[in-house]
Amino acid sequence: MLVDLIQQLFNGLVIGSIYTLVALGLTIIFGILGIAHFAHGSVAMFGGYITFFFITSLGLGLFPAMALAMAVGALLGVGIERIAYYPVRNAPPINAFIIALGLTLIIEKSNLILFGVDQIIIPTGFTRVFNIGGVTLPELRVYILAIAAVLVIALTILIQRTWMGMAVRAVAQNRPAAVLMGINVNAVSMFVFGLSSALGVAAGVLVGALFAVAPGVSGGLVVKGFAVLILGGLGSIPGAIVGGLVLGVSETFASAFISSAYKDVIAFLLMIGVLLIKPEGLMRRSAAR
Amino acid sequence: MSRIVLVAAVALAALAFPQMVTSNYFIHLGVIAIIWMIVAQGTNVIQGYTGYVTIAQGGFMGIGAYGSALLSVNAGLPVWIAILIAPFITAVAAVIAGYPSLRVKGHYFAIVTMAMNMVIFIVLVNWIPVTGGDAGMSGIPAPEPISLGGLEINFERRVNYYYLVLAALALVMLLVTAVVRSRVGLVLQAIRQNETFAEAAGVACWRYKLFSFVFSASLAGFAGALYAHYLSFLSPAPFSVDHSLNAILAVILGGSGTLAGPLVGAVLTTALPEMLRIAETFRLIIYGVSLVLVMIFLPRGLVPWVADLFGRFAGGRKDAEAENR
Repeated sequence: MLVDLIQQLFNGLVIGSIYTLVALGLTIIFGILGIAHFAHGSVAMFGGYITFFFITSLGLGLFPAMALAMAVGALLGVGIERIAYYPVRNAPPINAFIIALGLTLIIEKSNLILFGVDQIIIPTGFTRVFNIGGVTLPELRVYILAIAAVLVIALTILIQRTWMGMAVRAVAQNRPAAVLMGINVNAVSMFVFGLSSALGVAAGVLVGALFAVAPGVSGGLVVKGFAVLILGGLGSIPGAIVGGLVLGVSETFASAFISSAYKDVIAFLLMIGVLLIKPEGLMRRSAAR
Repeated sequence: MSRIVLVAAVALAALAFPQMVTSNYFIHLGVIAIIWMIVAQGTNVIQGYTGYVTIAQGGFMGIGAYGSALLSVNAGLPVWIAILIAPFITAVAAVIAGYPSLRVKGHYFAIVTMAMNMVIFIVLVNWIPVTGGDAGMSGIPAPEPISLGGLEINFERRVNYYYLVLAALALVMLLVTAVVRSRVGLVLQAIRQNETFAEAAGVACWRYKLFSFVFSASLAGFAGALYAHYLSFLSPAPFSVDHSLNAILAVILGGSGTLAGPLVGAVLTTALPEMLRIAETFRLIIYGVSLVLVMIFLPRGLVPWVADLFGRFAGGRKDAEAENR
């Protein structure tokens, strides 16, 4: 029984780390621009598809392919910010949200046209399985956890220790004051979109390696991402990390011990429960600080 | 005055439509368009007048559709009664869904409602003993024939069903007009303009928001019931998130916060894909592009834009500008 619990905890942390990556991208965009970037899941899936394309058609290794895909994703993110969100930056927030819905349709269905309807699994070659005291640790899952941890630490350093990170935090805290201090808010917006789209692509690659990249995955992924934001508190980076792991673990436990068909229902009930009891999120809002 | 003439002309055209077209296929499109008008008009109450975007209308339509179908097939209720009970079943579901989700605002409300739509969809697919799962439910009866002055009206005929949904739409329009022009409607618009201010003025906003959400959802449920007894077959597919987005698109395209906008929008979202005759995938990309373009260039939608054009044409620039204020 204890072994079972530890096994499910491990599985939950692996899935939760992917949710954390998705949620981090969403939370920094929300913190800076106040936009619920709904197309994030489709961008992530696009990243999974092109990584697969780079590996199979260009013969790249997994990590170079992933890095290249993250760069392409960052460019896509900057393009999205410029073309779609920039024109409505002063309109009511609902307009940006509806644009986000439109973008979701565009990217999601373009993926379908470009890459077809078949699901693809990104080949990794990590097939070994470790066994520690009855707990099975597939090599792939260990690597996913490690990659996610490295990315989260890199993001934290970027936000906390660099000049650009400081500018991002300044805009999140007080936009007018940041403008008066000579921060180029346009550049910050583009940087944030590039950064979060690259993170989203990384999440898409991990999903593609662990499960599959397929039409229809992105909607679930982005809703999970937002569920994490609601769990952890909007715009909060620590909240996204804790919330992602909590959601991953509770979802895995629910599917192992209650019902796998209804595991998403249980995840959403958790989100609704948090809304009822602690609407500001498990970690109080601390706006990308 | 010109408005009354316009409404009468549109109503006459709608009544004459089945007599003018020759093919049953167009009548079918007419029925579907009217059902979507009811959904879109419901969406308009919460989205256009209250300023909260919900992505659960498709799911609530599903609750109404399955609710009415189950009542008539399994419980043996007369179809007319089942169709009338369906909005109330949906309303109960909407109260349960709306109470927690209305604690968040703006984007997050939209996302929570979308999660609800996913929950509804998952239940429709997985609760096989009741809903039949992906295989669906068939043999849902049409409303019982009624006799009017010795003339029997059979609703298995498409033309008659067209007039039934048209009457339902007229009822919905009266109801929605009454609501948005009432004190409640004013409060809803106050919430859209500035919720903090409305709250400060002593309005218990959450009650009005909940009412608006539940009212919107029950109209979707009503439309769903009409849909179920029209097609006589139900599967979960039409009640997915994609269709909730369709309702939002109809409202935005036509003009949110106007009574005529959702009607125009629903006609466009039903007719355009049929006219374009293109694959589903391309259609949805065109939807996405049109959402983005309309939001950037015509954020108020087609109806207010056309009304402005006419206003400028007929009454000079001043009137049109005054109306903009």
